[in-house]
Amino acid sequence: MHEGQDDGGPAEWRSVMIDLSDSSLADLVELTGQDDSALARALRRVTGDGRSGEPIAGFNSAL
Amino acid sequence: MTVQPFRLGDAAFAALGAGRPSGDTLGALRRAELSRHLLLLREVRRGLPSTPVWYAESAAGDSGSARDWIADPMTGLWAAEALRRGPSAMPAPAPRNGHRLTASHDGLTLSVRLEDTDPVRAHLGLVPSAPVTPEELAHWRSCLERAWTLLAGEHRPAATTLAGVLRVIVPVRPDPTADGISATSAEAFGAVAMSAPPDPVALAVGLLHETQHSVLNAAGLLFDLVEPDGTRGYSPWRDDPRPAFGVLHGAYAYLAVTRFWRGRARRDRYAGFEFARWRTAVAEAASGLRDSCALTPAGDRFVSALLDEVRPWLAEPVDPEVERLAGLANADHRLRWRLRNLRVGPVDTARLVAAWRSGRDAPEVTPLQVPWSGRELADGSRLRLVKALLKGESAAPPGGRGNGADAACLRGAHGSARRAYEIDLEVDRGNDAAWAGLALVSPHPAVRARPEVMRAVAQAVPEAPIAVLADWLGKPRRG
Repeated sequence: MHEGQDDGGPAEWRSVMIDLSDSSLADLVELTGQDDSALARALRRVTGDGRSGEPIAGFNSAL
Repeated sequence: MTVQPFRLGDAAFAALGAGRPSGDTLGALRRAELSRHLLLLREVRRGLPSTPVWYAESAAGDSGSARDWIADPMTGLWAAEALRRGPSAMPAPAPRNGHRLTASHDGLTLSVRLEDTDPVRAHLGLVPSAPVTPEELAHWRSCLERAWTLLAGEHRPAATTLAGVLRVIVPVRPDPTADGISATSAEAFGAVAMSAPPDPVALAVGLLHETQHSVLNAAGLLFDLVEPDGTRGYSPWRDDPRPAFGVLHGAYAYLAVTRFWRGRARRDRYAGFEFARWRTAVAEAASGLRDSCALTPAGDRFVSALLDEVRPWLAEPVDPEVERLAGLANADHRLRWRLRNLRVGPVDTARLVAAWRSGRDAPEVTPLQVPWSGRELADGSRLRLVKALLKGESAAPPGGRGNGADAACLRGAHGSARRAYEIDLEVDRGNDAAWAGLALVSPHPAVRARPEVMRAVAQAVPEAPIAVLADWLGKPRRG
């Protein structure tokens, strides 16, 4: 599971994606992580492993 | 380096499912997509033997322009494609030479790049058009400014979401069978590929629709919403069988479209038709997802919030005649979908034929889904007639079927329509448009619900009159 609700209290949905938005690309390039690290799990997610769905969603007005 | 997983409180997550994400939630989605770009670029860089120019000049710096470059939708698209091909085989990112389009109304600004040169734009799912001419650019600019006045003035929350997500529009070639086409890639958050809009309203609706796809793609990056490897099924927006995430994409996009038309439904019959048609389609699709076991716990929460949003709209009054036509359009789509995608197998067909010839009741049969042959555009001849009727245009456009059967069907003259469709089918029992039409007006629930069964038996016993077969198939079974 990539998300969960904490037992008791307000529900919260938690992702396997980690917030790297304050990181620099240069730092990330130098970083190495174990296969089970948060970085590795996030990497697998963005490269499509284990994600469902097709990349393109579309529309046409004839419908 | 200390990093935190993305988290959303339940209220924020439900608001996202209802298509009303807060500013904080949109910020989280943007950060998630920026994180995705950083991870992809990291992999591309680590796959190269030496430092590429794009990395040295654009990506590795700490300046605002470097962050903007990384966050750009086309960077995500480029990086994903580079990883598919292999980093060494991918051309360097192209300069961003598109045209800046900015529209402001009542203190809210939308600023996008009309991207008509970057080669990577070909990976958005549609064929890009050539670089725009000055006249085409002026059309885009004019349409966008007028669409923005409409959205920012009358649909403020949706406009705020749009301003927070949309960054790039890629002009694409029109499709001759559609009034307009557009697409969104999960690999390019904030980009939309779109043919030149016919008018500002079409652009406004198209941008709302596609932005929803981007928002859902970002939500799907954070959370698994559907279980993997599910079966494909009916979607009110497509003619091909769709996986659960595809159905959810349609429902989520049309949630915004429905809300747009809802705001205009009381003053415009066409808007009322669109509102009535899509509120039902969204509600039914979302209900079907919840009933299908295709959703994860997060997906179920998301879709339940979507349903809570759309269900109250079902009770809002719409002109009864407009409501009838909306129901007709939805039923017509479902029937044509069944005829295109479902077949009665040879064993069941033989059972039907044997029962017919021996005077027994029709046996229960189970239609099978035919192998998926990819996306197709809809043949909506009756829908075109409905739209023409609502807009006060000619009900028989040149080249359309425009026959008496469809005209009677639209009038609600079911008896006349049924006889006319039966005549059409006596001429050609492979006429799926007529089969769908017959099912629309048939008094028999069995024919209305499963036209593919009627077609199978009618083609297998060509000597039997259509009307007699329909009565037989529609007859209640004994015992």
